[in-house]
Amino acid sequence: MKLFKASLLTLALTSTASAYAESIAVTNATIHTMTEQGVLTNATVVFDEGVITAINPETVNADTSIDAGGKTLTPGFIGSMNQLGLVEVSAVSSTRDSSEKKANITFDASAAFNPKSTVIPYTRKGGITTNISVPRGGDDMFKGQAFFADLSGEFDSIRMTDVAVIVDLGAKRKGSRAMEIQKLRHKLQDTKEALSKAKKDKKDAKKPKRADQAINALLAGEKPMIAYVDRATDILALLALKKEFSLDLVIAGAGDAVSVADEIAQAEVPVIMGAINNLPSFDALHRTLASASTLFDAGVNVAYSVSGDTHNLYMLRFDAGISVANGVSKENALKAVTANVADAFNIDAGRIAVGKKADLVLWSGDPFELSTRVEQMWIDGVETSTLSRQDALRDRYTAETNMPRAYVK
Amino acid sequence: MQKFIPSVLVAAISVSLTACIQSEKQDEKVEINKNPYPSTYQVLPQQTTIIRNATVLTGTGERLDNADVLMLDGKISQVGASLSADGAVIIDAKGKWVTPGVIDVHSHLGVYPSPSAESHSDGNEATQPNTSEVWAEHSVWPQDPGFNRARAGGITTLQILPGSANLFGGRGVTLRNVPSHTMQGMKFPDAPYGLKMACGENPKRVYGSKKVSPATRMGNMAGYRMAWAEAVEYKRAWDKYEADYAEGKNSEAPARDIELDTLKGVLDGEIKIHNHCYKAEEMAMMIDLSKEFGYHAGTFHHAIEAYKIADTLAENGNCAAMWPDWWGFKMEAYDMIQENVAVVDSKANSCAVVHSDSATTIQRLNQEAGKVMYRANENGFDIKPKDAITWITANAAKSLGIEDKTGSLASGKSADVVIWNSNPFSVYAQAEQVFIDGAKVYDRFDDKYQAVSDFSLGQQ
Repeated sequence: MKLFKASLLTLALTSTASAYAESIAVTNATIHTMTEQGVLTNATVVFDEGVITAINPETVNADTSIDAGGKTLTPGFIGSMNQLGLVEVSAVSSTRDSSEKKANITFDASAAFNPKSTVIPYTRKGGITTNISVPRGGDDMFKGQAFFADLSGEFDSIRMTDVAVIVDLGAKRKGSRAMEIQKLRHKLQDTKEALSKAKKDKKDAKKPKRADQAINALLAGEKPMIAYVDRATDILALLALKKEFSLDLVIAGAGDAVSVADEIAQAEVPVIMGAINNLPSFDALHRTLASASTLFDAGVNVAYSVSGDTHNLYMLRFDAGISVANGVSKENALKAVTANVADAFNIDAGRIAVGKKADLVLWSGDPFELSTRVEQMWIDGVETSTLSRQDALRDRYTAETNMPRAYVK
Repeated sequence: MQKFIPSVLVAAISVSLTACIQSEKQDEKVEINKNPYPSTYQVLPQQTTIIRNATVLTGTGERLDNADVLMLDGKISQVGASLSADGAVIIDAKGKWVTPGVIDVHSHLGVYPSPSAESHSDGNEATQPNTSEVWAEHSVWPQDPGFNRARAGGITTLQILPGSANLFGGRGVTLRNVPSHTMQGMKFPDAPYGLKMACGENPKRVYGSKKVSPATRMGNMAGYRMAWAEAVEYKRAWDKYEADYAEGKNSEAPARDIELDTLKGVLDGEIKIHNHCYKAEEMAMMIDLSKEFGYHAGTFHHAIEAYKIADTLAENGNCAAMWPDWWGFKMEAYDMIQENVAVVDSKANSCAVVHSDSATTIQRLNQEAGKVMYRANENGFDIKPKDAITWITANAAKSLGIEDKTGSLASGKSADVVIWNSNPFSVYAQAEQVFIDGAKVYDRFDDKYQAVSDFSLGQQ
């Protein structure tokens, strides 16, 4: 298992490619680059050693060439805000590693990531090649640090740890939400003052505690703070904190973001939301199926996550499709499951460009349609199957046999 | 005895009987009111309507292209070509699709409403393993905004069930999805009651953790058997009272037991079982249980492993209500396959149903059915939209015992109709207009037909 810090990522890109990887060209594809290049038709992408080496080269030079027949090629979709690889069966406590009562801002659950989880191959059926898993944490408002992994199922699939700090604010079952936002403000203030004092008085400088180092990283804008919050007043309070402390803030959940869409856009704060969450809560009275559309129109960078159980993550593309039916452009919806997720977390994924990791999906049709399936998928340049345990069960129980089905393998 | 000639014997008997009746006058017969909270549902204002030139999925296994649907007096009058009727409102549905109203056999709208609040968490009387005495209809908050969201997704009828903590959770109720400020105003007239039962992990977890039986699956089965044994005795006592009374005897009526009334209703064939039961081996045992005590095991809900016993379900006439893809949240949901509904459906005399159990997915039950169709077709099945639609219409109606009233666009059925802007099995599909008993209850483009819950009204 290789753990990469952000600064080592570039090095990692070249060093992780498997020795057996061959160069592949996908030709005659409709490529959604998610870059300034936009959508390329009859286009070719070449990748080698896990990295995209050329787009539309004059001559195609690759070990294998695959004619896409005009079908759609997109960056692999990116899951986020879930517990992929940390939970095998939600109700079986011994298979859950996403939370810990005493977890705090330093909690890094990546050491528990299981690339062999049955949820991973199933999730690949949804065209998802990479994922940002987040801890659920414990009693503290800080739930811990997110990590970024690919869905290759290999033991070295974690790409980056300590990607973002997760904080849970807003409605509380006990006590007042005011206390939490106050605690967060004080924490930022106190740490900032301590940091500035330490700079002035270098002789007495002690190494800050690990938790304070994490806050320092937020104050330095080195990593995003992902804040779960729904109510408009809570969002405004966070926007004020962002301004005061120059935080790299991302709002997650964002149930009533539509009420303050302009303010969010102006503050250049991305929003991660469930595209199909439209039932009211007291913190989110105004969410509808058109919420994503309203936010995009206001100029907010929206990313989608699947709400609820991580086992449903494969449905991400359907949620994006439903958002299109409710006013979001197809290109924006595609961004919301690729480039915008990558940007919110500052990770290197979600686009098709030279030098990027070859995380690619070739679709049988429109990626959002129910009738479409993943035809081929490459993770880190390696073709990866979308067959899962579910397929084996189906085949067992639809096979002709006169013996107990346990003999059908 | 031999000395008496027959005519004398007859006379003697008749004299003694008359004497008996005269000396023991019968008390008024004890009757149980089986419908004490009757429906007050009224059809909303409706007009004769013709939907023209649509792609029509009838729910009876047919697809008709460029077809008309005539709604007259709240009923489906005709489906065919070039229909006409005096004074009919004409809806041009060229390029659009028409289906029967969508039916969800498993919903907790109103009993676990939005917003989720402790004060409105009324879906499960999880205080003892057998709460057959509770009725979900007594918990329904008709103002749940979820009803309106579901209507926008084409839901015209839905069964509200109690939760699954108990072996016997209580009675479910079938509602028309019309806005009303009373439960009775939504109640589906003459729909049979359902009895919610639950297998497996939930009852054993909820009660086992309280050191109350059941704590195991064998404890679950014991609990069912003891309850049914008692119910059989209760039914026998009432049957005897009825028979005795009919013979003129002034026998004493059995003591009324609200809990056993429900189980007796099942034994009498009046109440249908709706059994939360995921696993193949448990469903098979529940079928044997029903045979042991003489009732029908009804519909298995969340039947994740139905594909393993599809033959058994079909042979025994059980419906299976399933999700396309939920799994992994507990052990009994671990063996999900995306083709489950299709495998169940492939057997003769089967009854495959797609259900939601969700305030979110109830808004897109059409898409839930679509997912199954496409995944199954990728893997050796050949399912057409005309077939898949039955999973959320006709088969669902059969599960609820209302197939003679709704669930298909057959002549004489209630005019429960959805006009979709495109193939309803597309991710982009939207219900444009929804009709219940011929009355328009939702229009995507007309605010006048978009109901707003009291809760949502006037919120800042």
